[in-house]
Amino acid sequence: MWMKDEDTLIEEVLQGNHSSFEPLLQPYRQGFLTMAYRMTGNMEEAKEVCQEALFKIFRYLRSFKKGRSFKTWAYRIVMNTSFDFLREKKKFEKVLEVQKRSFVFESSEAEKRVWNREIREKIQNVLHILTPKEKAVFLLRDGEGLSVWEASKVLGCSQISIRTHLSRARQKMRDHFEKKNLFGSSEVET
Amino acid sequence: MRCKKVQRLLPLMAGDELSGPKAFKVRTHLHRCPLCRREYEKYVLLVQQTRKWLAEDKVDWEKREWPQALKEVIKDKGSKRSSMVPWPFPKGWAFALMAGVLLLITALVVRPPFLEKIGLKPRYEDDAKVEALKADKESEEQQVVSMTMVSKETGLKIVWFFNKNFDLEEK
Repeated sequence: MWMKDEDTLIEEVLQGNHSSFEPLLQPYRQGFLTMAYRMTGNMEEAKEVCQEALFKIFRYLRSFKKGRSFKTWAYRIVMNTSFDFLREKKKFEKVLEVQKRSFVFESSEAEKRVWNREIREKIQNVLHILTPKEKAVFLLRDGEGLSVWEASKVLGCSQISIRTHLSRARQKMRDHFEKKNLFGSSEVET
Repeated sequence: MRCKKVQRLLPLMAGDELSGPKAFKVRTHLHRCPLCRREYEKYVLLVQQTRKWLAEDKVDWEKREWPQALKEVIKDKGSKRSSMVPWPFPKGWAFALMAGVLLLITALVVRPPFLEKIGLKPRYEDDAKVEALKADKESEEQQVVSMTMVSKETGLKIVWFFNKNFDLEEK
């Protein structure tokens, strides 16, 4: 099926064809929710953050400059909304506790079927040792596969800063892996 | 390149975030240093493992939720939820404008001396009164002119006072 490019879809939404909004965001629906979920540690809150971010994207679409990357612009809105959400609720210190509790209480039966709890726990344990900025950089780069340049655009900082945070995050995770003996007998895939 | 420097770059090297001459130097070092190579392999394993976990544990909207969320956005046209007031200019302008207003208020309240020098001292009602009194006094003083003559021989001093029409007032 022929897919319209992002610029065309944006133009159509701005001209009042709101049905183009869905295909415009379709490639990012999973990425947005996953990012918000990892940042907040709670599915309900992640959906709330995403909903708020979608409102902002729709509202400020007119201010989006043509020729720039819609992906980084939209991710930036999601990230900023997540940070705002966490700041508003003063959750930065409590997030990890909430995340840990969410494994135990939040998962419904349906969720348990779908998600691999063990992996999720491992991820959350890794995220637990990172600062919010390191977490954001790590998730954008290793989770969403954004380039260093894209991550710098999303977080509004320099590429050097991204590299520094990423390096620090990996060093912390390496120490964590060593401590928990997670390297085990795994071998490097070539 | 020394081991210490190489080990600082290994976390980025493992994730392919290093390129150019730096990457080349690290790679060259890794070929001949088994200690750094072991460390590098750990980082590679870490990156592979975490990326795998993150890829396996993606979350998604439930079937009806996504269209519902978009429907709500379009219905409210993105205006209902957002508490942000749109500001048509860059943020820096708002700060500059606020700083300007603050400076103006400060200047009006404090009235620093340099403003007076450049003739920008604000005129309040009291100031205006003082100025008027000063002007009156000056004009009064100017209405009487005196002329003094002193004799060189005797030292006698004669003073004449004239009014503004230069008529003799007293001697």
